Amino acid sequence: MASSSVYSSPGFDFSNQLRNNFLSEKGLPLPKATSTGTTIVGCLFEDGIVLGADTRATEGPIVADKNCEKIHYISESIRCCGAGTAADTEFTTALISSNIELHALHTGRKPRVVTAMTMLKQMLFQYQGHIGAALVLGGVDATGPNLFTIHPHGSTDKLPYVTMGSGSLAAMAVFESSWRPNMSRDEALTLVKHAISAGIFNDLGSGSNVDACIITATHTEMLRNVEMPNQRVEKEKKYGFRRGTTAWKRETVKSLIVEEEITHVLGEAMDTT
Amino acid sequence: MPDMVPMSVAQPQERQFNPYSDNGGTILAVAGANFSVIAGDTRQSEGYSIQTRYAPKVFRLTDKAVLAVNGFAADGNMFVKKVKQRLEWYRHAHSKDMPLRAVARLIQSMLYARRFFPYYVYNILGGIEEDGSGAVYSFDPVGSYEREACRAAGAASSLVQPFLDNQIYFKNQTPAPGTSHPAHLALTDVLALVIDSFTSATERHIEVGDGLEMYVVLAKGSPLQGLELVQGVQEMSTTTDGERVFIVRRNLKRD
Amino acid sequence: MFLTRSEYDRGVNTFSPEGRLFQVEYAIEAIKLGSTTIGVRTPEGVVLGVEQRVQSPLLEASSIEKIMEIDRHLGCAMSGLTADARTMIDHARVTSQNHAFTYDEKIKVESVTQAVCDLALRFGESVHDEEAMMSRPFGVALLIAGYDELGPQLYHTDPSGTSVRYDAKAIGSGSEAAQSELQDKWHKQMTLQEARTLTLRVLKQVMEEKLDHHNVQLAQVTPANGFEILDEAALKSTIQLM
Repeated sequence: MASSSVYSSPGFDFSNQLRNNFLSEKGLPLPKATSTGTTIVGCLFEDGIVLGADTRATEGPIVADKNCEKIHYISESIRCCGAGTAADTEFTTALISSNIELHALHTGRKPRVVTAMTMLKQMLFQYQGHIGAALVLGGVDATGPNLFTIHPHGSTDKLPYVTMGSGSLAAMAVFESSWRPNMSRDEALTLVKHAISAGIFNDLGSGSNVDACIITATHTEMLRNVEMPNQRVEKEKKYGFRRGTTAWKRETVKSLIVEEEITHVLGEAMDTT
Repeated sequence: MPDMVPMSVAQPQERQFNPYSDNGGTILAVAGANFSVIAGDTRQSEGYSIQTRYAPKVFRLTDKAVLAVNGFAADGNMFVKKVKQRLEWYRHAHSKDMPLRAVARLIQSMLYARRFFPYYVYNILGGIEEDGSGAVYSFDPVGSYEREACRAAGAASSLVQPFLDNQIYFKNQTPAPGTSHPAHLALTDVLALVIDSFTSATERHIEVGDGLEMYVVLAKGSPLQGLELVQGVQEMSTTTDGERVFIVRRNLKRD
Repeated sequence: MFLTRSEYDRGVNTFSPEGRLFQVEYAIEAIKLGSTTIGVRTPEGVVLGVEQRVQSPLLEASSIEKIMEIDRHLGCAMSGLTADARTMIDHARVTSQNHAFTYDEKIKVESVTQAVCDLALRFGESVHDEEAMMSRPFGVALLIAGYDELGPQLYHTDPSGTSVRYDAKAIGSGSEAAQSELQDKWHKQMTLQEARTLTLRVLKQVMEEKLDHHNVQLAQVTPANGFEILDEAALKSTIQLM
């Protein structure tokens, strides 16, 4: 007799799709995924790539996380900024990171940015836009500095300066007015900070702090919270509650100490030598 | 597929013009024993864009009535304009300022008059009643209204109202044995709660921020109750022998 | 009396060369044919009194309505073409209800009086070809008594749409004699009881018939009870006191 299978096929499980479509038709919408409203940018400078991101995560109009990380690790010299559905950007970059590591071990070479880009776009295209990840991929490899954007449907661009997310227009305005070829490392970092700040202050989907990542051929520097222009102000009042504030109806005290009665059996003790 | 309709065949198409939009922001008001505080942030937004960082949502109507309006900004501004016009007409017809409860009823009439094409706004009216007590009236967009001790409305109302319920009505707080909760809070305490409401709403709601405007209405002959020590306080009233209106402004985070 | 005023006394909206509107003046004259009506204001409230001319023993005196309620806090006594007063009081009642509905408060005595005066001036008003709504001025004067945040008040309105506030006022056929009597007897600290007896005394002086509870009616507006027409028992006891 055939027993129920415990085998689950690899990849996504669509078994609840029929049920969920039925439920949302009946007026029970699917839970809303955390989205990183987001400003993410990347730009080329004389000896590498600078990536930047804000740190706000939203659920509709509510700020879900005030200091999340949107610059994801792909490899030592390749990083990827994610905008869109938080889970999709996190999972996709982690998956590609794993595969890039395997690929590097397999080939015995340092991974290339185009490789990561190709893997990402193939995966996103396969899922026809249902994986809501909009990415800025940057890094330095054997071919030199590389910078890409990858859209949720799998299309890609290779450009010297890029922005994505809801704050992309604000950030791009900064790039368009101030980016020059062959900028110094400090100039590029300042420019990225400005671009992200433009998103933080002018786009409601972006906010809190600036994260940046500088990738050169020899070194990758992750600058977490490189700017913190939105520190929380101190409250006017203290909101401590007196002990006993919360009403209660019943009190039960349960002893967690297990009591055990030990009876010594007469006779010779066991030989434990 | 046999049941596919060729693209060349004209299909009925439905299009809709939506005259309303949501411009975010939050307002709130708290009534004290002989004062009333009415506050609102100054950010006006649409979608993820900030239209302006300073668009007042709180308006002095008379020396004893202040109106906060939140929702669709165009409707809100027009509504305030019309209320002010009716107040002026009333002043001419009856040679006195309209009492607060009369303003409240008038607002109901004006909102309900647009029952089937409503002003897309939530109104909160604060001020001083004829008996000298602080009062807050809150309205829904079609005119249902109620006098209350405190009310929050707008984008972050679901964040702020529970906080006010806890701190002003002392909901879910058992008083210490042998004591009871005060019926009314002091003005300085209310101002602190209002500021904290808005700084907190700014932290967690993307449509709240930029600036905070708090109007304080004091009953006729009431002392300043510490208002004179509040930084940047400005008097807005036309006389000092009746009810008095003050405004306090604060900056809020701009991200 | 008016023989020299031909031609200019026809249209309701034509001034005479001397600057007079004769139809309005005639309307004011009509009031002098009406029964005497008196109003007296005191700090405690306002008293209204009217003479009811019972021309025939077959006439039911109680069906003569010359004092009417406008609202809980407003009353009104009339003299002249009392049928015209119904239109005006209807208007006053609607105005008062509308005010209460829109503003959740009592309308002021002055405001309701003004509303009545606005109506009084609508004669001859028409939009180009349309028929005028009102063809002539009202032939009635009103004493509007009421109570609001400014205290008890008494207003007089006439067909010209003029309103004046009085401490005590008499209108109608015996108004001249009554008014001078009121001027003599009225004083600032009058009680409501004194006002009631004063009203009756003055009415008695100017009435041809002997005053009794059939041919007079009294009403009062007080902060406590609002507008009330005195019932037979109360009226009788006031007559007794007089």
